[in-house]
Amino acid sequence: MIAEGLLYTKENEWAKVEGQTATIGITDYAQEQLGEITFVEMPAIGKNVKQKDELAVVESSKAASDVYSPVTGKVTEVNSKLESNPELINNDCYGSGWICKVKITDERTMENLMDSKQYEEYLKGL
Amino acid sequence: MAGAGSSGKFAFNQIRKPPSGSVLYEEHLKSTNKPHIADFAGYLMPLWYSSISAEHRAVRQTAGLFDCTHMGVLEVIGPTAAEFLNAVTTNEINNISIGGAQYGYILDAGGDVLDDIIIYKRAENKFIMVVNAANEPKIKEWLKKLINDNVIIDIDNPDRKLEYKPVIRDMRDTGSGSDCRVDIALQGPASINILSTLVNREVQSRIENLISFHFAEAIIADIECIISRTGYTGGKIGFELFVHPENAPQLWRRLLQNGESFGLLACGLGARDSLRIEAGLPLYGHELAGPFNISPFEAGYGWAVKLEKDFFIGKAAMQAKAKTYDMKVVRVELPGEKGIRPVRQNDATLDSTGKCLGWVLSCAKTGEKQSALCFMNRAVKENDAVGVYYLARSQSQIANGRKEQVEKNAVLEADIVGRVVSRFAKF
Repeated sequence: MIAEGLLYTKENEWAKVEGQTATIGITDYAQEQLGEITFVEMPAIGKNVKQKDELAVVESSKAASDVYSPVTGKVTEVNSKLESNPELINNDCYGSGWICKVKITDERTMENLMDSKQYEEYLKGL
Repeated sequence: MAGAGSSGKFAFNQIRKPPSGSVLYEEHLKSTNKPHIADFAGYLMPLWYSSISAEHRAVRQTAGLFDCTHMGVLEVIGPTAAEFLNAVTTNEINNISIGGAQYGYILDAGGDVLDDIIIYKRAENKFIMVVNAANEPKIKEWLKKLINDNVIIDIDNPDRKLEYKPVIRDMRDTGSGSDCRVDIALQGPASINILSTLVNREVQSRIENLISFHFAEAIIADIECIISRTGYTGGKIGFELFVHPENAPQLWRRLLQNGESFGLLACGLGARDSLRIEAGLPLYGHELAGPFNISPFEAGYGWAVKLEKDFFIGKAAMQAKAKTYDMKVVRVELPGEKGIRPVRQNDATLDSTGKCLGWVLSCAKTGEKQSALCFMNRAVKENDAVGVYYLARSQSQIANGRKEQVEKNAVLEADIVGRVVSRFAKF
């Protein structure tokens, strides 16, 4: 399942850009690969990240996976619900399973992200 | 000498082939729950269908069905088959009667574990040996070298040869005869009820009378079958069914159909692992052999190594090991509610002062807890508190000073604390 209107990375993160803020999460493909997610390590609010910097760690009973930032900016908010309900990522990865919000400081970094059509094509090749 | 130096170590370089589906692969693809397939030991095997936790629960409460058709099944047959197996494996083959099964080890001359196995005695001179899928090519090569006198079997006497030469046959190779066999495991309390729906009265009574590590040869759903009261989930009731590979899909379907009303679920490798970890059962490469070269004694299975036998390959090393080993596999129960970071292989295990006494070998989430099998000092005992230090799993954790590996006796602060529980869970 791929959501329309989002931007995607090859590492299977998504970003929903509204104004200067990107809401970030992992894609349905990524959560399927991980299986039942049991733990999410969040970034600190205020952390400055460059595109492709490590943002979070998502762990299931079978694997630990880094989440890389799709954009360059500053972390402004984290989804604290994931601390006690990490399975929200399995149940609703594009909605209530969002991970954090980043205020974009360099918009050029968004140019190399894929749209939903491109991401769909990309997944076919995996 | 090919395959062995004077140390008696058996060096085997497996040629990796692209993975192929098991004989049940098409059945997995048909499953209503889309299975997550991965390459395991060269086979495309389901990791889970519904979810690991649901499949784990089904095996504990009702029943689960496992594709074990990738496991190696070798026949050892001939007038000297028993003598051969007694020299090649650590347990005492004469302790089992026809219809009985036995756990044991195959060692090289240096005492390294090549595999843990179960031997089934079908007739006086006719045995089946079930070996791990990942080790099957190595064991076949080892047995071939033994038959051809092409390997050292006794480091104190490098010219020693085995006197016994039985015939060894790959029972999964459909070219090897009409009586081929592959393994399907039906595990859990409802497994006996599900089997009962597919057999006649006489077979039903034979199945009901089977005790652990015993088997019957009978017809299930019109299919010739070895029905064995064995398994790898630790439950009181469970069976392994050995059938011809061509009949495996049909038996798989019939079991799933008839088991549905009992709550039977098809289970993948994920649940297989969490069930065996919870039960305390070793997995080759983790609690046996592997990076720590864990021996049967350290694994807690010294009883399956019969040092009183005149000879078996690796005996001298086992005699020394039995006197000197100072580490053992323990089972630790840890908190595992949602939001707790999972403990993983190689994380450090600490005593109450924070001193590292060993490492995690395997860990799985089991309900609201985590079960870990750990390699720790032999002095550790049941109910001792055990702390776990998580190793770094990301670059930012490393940047923040989290260690990527921990040496024994290093002192650290525990991230999570659990307790040593009895090695084998009772269900």
